[in-house]
Amino acid sequence: MAHWSSAGRLTGQGGCITSRNGSDYGRLLIKGMEMKSKLLAMGMLLAAGSAQAQPAAPAEIKVGALYASSGPYASISMPVFDGFKLWVDQVNASGGVEVKAFGKKIPLKLIAYDDQSSTATAATLYNQLITQDHVDLLIADSGSVLTSVGVPIAKEHKQFLFDVSGTGAAFFTDDNPYIALMADPVSTIWPHYISDFLGDEGVKAGIKTVAILYSTNDFTGTQAAALKGFFERDGKVKVVYYQGVPTSTSNYTVLINNIAALNPDAVLELGYVGNDIAFLRNLQDSGNQFKFVFSIYAGTEKEEIEKNVGVSALTNIYSYVPPSNYVYKPEAGMTQQEFHAAWDKKYPPGSGVAFGANAVYGYMTGLVVEQTLATTKSLDQMDIHNAVFALSGKLKTLDGTFELRKDGAQIGEVTPLGQLQPAGKDELNLVAVYPPDLANGKAVIGK
Amino acid sequence: MLTGAIVAGVVFGLYYTLVGLGLNLVFGVMRIVNLAHGDFLMLGGISAWFLFTSFGLNPFVSAGLVVVVFLLVGLPIYYLVVPRLLRSRDSEMLSLILFFGISQMIEAVTTIGLGATERSLPPRLLGVGPLVILGTRLPKAWIFSALVSAIAVLLVYLYLYRTRLGTLTRAVMVSREEALATGIDVNFVSAVAFGISLALAGVAGVFAPFILGSITPNMGVAINITAFAVIVVGTLGNPLGTLLGGIIYGVSLMLMQTYLSSWANLLPNLLLIAVLLIRPEGILGRKTRRA
Repeated sequence: MAHWSSAGRLTGQGGCITSRNGSDYGRLLIKGMEMKSKLLAMGMLLAAGSAQAQPAAPAEIKVGALYASSGPYASISMPVFDGFKLWVDQVNASGGVEVKAFGKKIPLKLIAYDDQSSTATAATLYNQLITQDHVDLLIADSGSVLTSVGVPIAKEHKQFLFDVSGTGAAFFTDDNPYIALMADPVSTIWPHYISDFLGDEGVKAGIKTVAILYSTNDFTGTQAAALKGFFERDGKVKVVYYQGVPTSTSNYTVLINNIAALNPDAVLELGYVGNDIAFLRNLQDSGNQFKFVFSIYAGTEKEEIEKNVGVSALTNIYSYVPPSNYVYKPEAGMTQQEFHAAWDKKYPPGSGVAFGANAVYGYMTGLVVEQTLATTKSLDQMDIHNAVFALSGKLKTLDGTFELRKDGAQIGEVTPLGQLQPAGKDELNLVAVYPPDLANGKAVIGK
Repeated sequence: MLTGAIVAGVVFGLYYTLVGLGLNLVFGVMRIVNLAHGDFLMLGGISAWFLFTSFGLNPFVSAGLVVVVFLLVGLPIYYLVVPRLLRSRDSEMLSLILFFGISQMIEAVTTIGLGATERSLPPRLLGVGPLVILGTRLPKAWIFSALVSAIAVLLVYLYLYRTRLGTLTRAVMVSREEALATGIDVNFVSAVAFGISLALAGVAGVFAPFILGSITPNMGVAINITAFAVIVVGTLGNPLGTLLGGIIYGVSLMLMQTYLSSWANLLPNLLLIAVLLIRPEGILGRKTRRA
């Protein structure tokens, strides 16, 4: 339209000149003018095309996130959200995040909704963030349960999902490029150090049988299935008890008695924070003892569990050693000590949300977002995908090395196996005991 | 394993008797459903946690304080809410909506004030280690909680059947209109019953950390569902039927955990459906309820 109108106007002017200076000269002049007009029109088209490829920089980058301020997942969700918010506030305090596509710093606008630990509410809110708020970047709520509903929604809308800690194996498929796991290893590989340790040092210490008790959800269910598979594949330790319980389970006395009746050497309890608190309290109360007891959150949310369970019930319990208790040398963002100090300053101890692995996961997700925006060609969701995957194996943070499988599963941040060992009166130290290259202490196996 | 499940179930069920007792008392006297019952239980637990962390009070002492405070708090809440509710055309249905709102408010205010994280009391306060009953190892805390529950049931029984106020309460349970016509101060009798109900919920809350592991602001809804199943099984409106409902729930839960653990959380709903289909008046119920 612009081409047509501008050419027509110029041609008309040329026509006027032709009538004054003779026909040949006039034709030449007209031809020249036509070429000029075409060139001008092409120039305008090119300019328009270029403007389309690099539109004007937005006033803010909209980041959508969900959190659960109440409900069973609040204790893992709020630290993630607070950790992420800490990063957002830091970035905005420095003038915004560097966005390569626009060659400047742009402030972040965090649009966050409370799903109250309800998957139904979360599904509605994921939709709202994508279709109503039109967020540029979408951050999932913490944990597999609240992430599970976001995965198909993000895929359907072709919106890239920054999956903070939803480790369920089913989330990652080759036909879905719109997801990447940020801060936890995918559940199918996460627990392999447990089976490796039991098959190696455990067998030497007389461990021959194991009981696996898990909460039936994507997160712990996948880990339990993976562990069972590892034990059966290796054939060194026999699984004598393998049972799931609802995630809402709050008493384990009868379950522990049933396990004890089978006399296993090792007991692996895989649950969320509330499950682990109830299990560890009931285990101590029951008086049953096993050579090896593992619980996910005993180490992952050590402060939270310790204050509810007590030191004696936690002594010599095995757990994962999360980045909040293990020092990695970061090449981007704060070190663990710096982050802990920043956390305590922003959320003083006793203010409601304890420092732990999930706090690190929230902050670490912010770092991935920062690096992504610093390298992405545009805010197109496939460009975001490409930028995130380009970080794989190169980004080293306080959470270890960020490394993605081609389906988006995290395979780099595998946590060492640790043990809560006494360190002075009424204190426990989470010591990394396996694998040997990451260990900073020796395991104590026995009742 | 079968014996262990049954023994543990009876003890565990006694605690759930305490949880459901107050809910049933309120329904029996006022014909309203207090959907905030579980939230008052949570507040009882939070009170015990606060009294321990601030003043080092033993849970048994806290339980005494909670009984007095919750009983007194129940009186004004009753006068503020219930008489107006009972004047409405469908007070049972409206009570569901109103107390659901109160439940949400309590949860939200507690979450805002204290955060959403778990809180608990040290296990040592009720003794660490097991007691062995019929070859089954049970936590000492369970035994103490069950004893407290049994005492509470006994006290409620003595109140209803051995005191003048209890007799008046039973009269109101039979017919509120007739009780009013005979000159009984129905509102006062109901207010005391409401206060007792909150006190029972509060005591159950004090022992919740020892039975359920920890307290969280959002625990009320799950507690309500279970408590409702317990009182429907035991007979709605019959406080002492709650004992049977609690034990049936406890034993069924432990059997489910032993033989079909993945499905254990379906139990309250299964029990509710089964009782409503087979014996809607509850196991101890009669076609025409008598107090």
